[in-house]
Amino acid sequence: MTDLADLSLVEAAEAVRSGDVRSVELLDAIWANLDAANPKLNATIWLDREGAEAAARAADQAVRDGATQDGAPLGPLHGVPMAHKDMYYQAGKLSTCGSAVRQDWRPAVTATVIERLAAAGAYTFGGLNMAEFAQNPTGHNKTFGDCHNPWNLPFITGGSSSGSGVSVAARYNYMALGSDTGGSIRLPASACGVTGIKPTQTRVSRYGVMPLSFTCDNVGPLCRTARDCARVMRVIAGRDPRDPTSADVPVPDYEAALDGDLRGLRIGVPGNWFFDGADDAVAAAVDLATDVLEARGAVVQEIDLPLMDAIAACGGIVSRVEGATIHAQWMRDRPQAYGAHISGRMYPAYAIPATYYVEALSRRGPILQAFADEVFSKVDVLATPTIRTNLPTLAETDIDHGPAGTEHRFLAVSANTRPFNYLGLPAVSVPCGFDPNGCPIGLQIAGRPFAEARILRVADAYQRDTDWHRRRPPVLDAVTADGAVAA
Amino acid sequence: MDPFLAEIEQTIARWHGIAAPNDPAQRMAADLAETIRAFEAQRGALAFEDEPASFEAALRQTMER
Repeated sequence: MTDLADLSLVEAAEAVRSGDVRSVELLDAIWANLDAANPKLNATIWLDREGAEAAARAADQAVRDGATQDGAPLGPLHGVPMAHKDMYYQAGKLSTCGSAVRQDWRPAVTATVIERLAAAGAYTFGGLNMAEFAQNPTGHNKTFGDCHNPWNLPFITGGSSSGSGVSVAARYNYMALGSDTGGSIRLPASACGVTGIKPTQTRVSRYGVMPLSFTCDNVGPLCRTARDCARVMRVIAGRDPRDPTSADVPVPDYEAALDGDLRGLRIGVPGNWFFDGADDAVAAAVDLATDVLEARGAVVQEIDLPLMDAIAACGGIVSRVEGATIHAQWMRDRPQAYGAHISGRMYPAYAIPATYYVEALSRRGPILQAFADEVFSKVDVLATPTIRTNLPTLAETDIDHGPAGTEHRFLAVSANTRPFNYLGLPAVSVPCGFDPNGCPIGLQIAGRPFAEARILRVADAYQRDTDWHRRRPPVLDAVTADGAVAA
Repeated sequence: MDPFLAEIEQTIARWHGIAAPNDPAQRMAADLAETIRAFEAQRGALAFEDEPASFEAALRQTMER
């Protein structure tokens, strides 16, 4: 029998709706892997076992009744347990934002995306570890402890949605929301071997979500498969009156677009920026991945991308200044409450002139227009490595305790993801191989604004012909008879 | 102390009342020289728009159809 924790989100949802599997059985499978592996991986901050078990029983009763207690039909995520990065507010529940500053904080509101997931039938069983205030690309956390990579424990998980990537990879979560300001969904997706999508800027409501950078923050899912992401996107995307920055653009049926057909699709592989200093294993994995897409009928070509230096210069200004502004009072009052890798990064942003910030912001629209006109007249999507190097270890990127220069290794992790945040373009990361240390490699596929259906179609087509996304991390194989994880 | 770093620290203290919290903060403040260089390198590469420019409008104009 298939381990229920191995089911994808869509498989789990369909199994519950059909009555083949009970929600309480899914939850039991989650608890079994969580209790065995989480002590090594440290992916959770809090758990609500009692609440989740009550929700699971209610979901099972609804299946028997053919409708929820309110008489509503069963939703597309009915009966699926999930946990999210601990920065999605649920009124009255803990929301630490991975920080000492908010260690005991309980918000008064619930995030729109949490409400939409609940309306689709999902329920939440906990809050996941994350980079402090979503501000690092590695998974370090001073307050709640570092998250560990389930494929090789001393290596980074990617951040800032570290617990999201780890819990989905280690089979104790079917889907986790992450947030992505500079790569924080795609980086842990890549490092942990799962699938994660950063939607187009404005595509998903940010109401009730901890802000880092008003300009570049995005909400999106980390799941096992592109199809899982498609299902979640259909649920969470769309205009929200409580988030005036959310776009009033119709939400398509993303799953319906997953037909495996890539005939004639033009895929651009950048000749500049994204492979600069890339490790051989990463470049080779991405090269092989584009071969797979080509075999499905896509036309792969090299393309030189315009304006990359301007995008890097402007993007770095905007998100740093906005993050520093949000945290200014706490940086004055209690700077030692932050990890050094957070306060150390924010500190210089206070010296960036307002004229730089305004210029970087003002250029965003024209740069996007020029980039899109030139690139998307030649290709339909871009394919790049998500992280261009072999994964570093936690120790190699530990700014708080490492030598001078550690910060450069730390910041280099997100070199390939940040450009798409400034541009506001959607990008998905799918697993496409392993580096020499046994850590996953990610393939990043980016497209035009609101091209989520297209990039998910490419990701899904790739996953039809590969099994990287189905592989189980060795931390699960090391579970001993008594439920502990062998060292 | 490096004069550039000293100037940065004075500026932040004067305008924001925030002191360097740790060594990494000072190291990364020194790296601001590179941030400035990268930004200044764009001078002349892009014309600053006289007309109002909207990122949201650019998203719609370039969106998937």
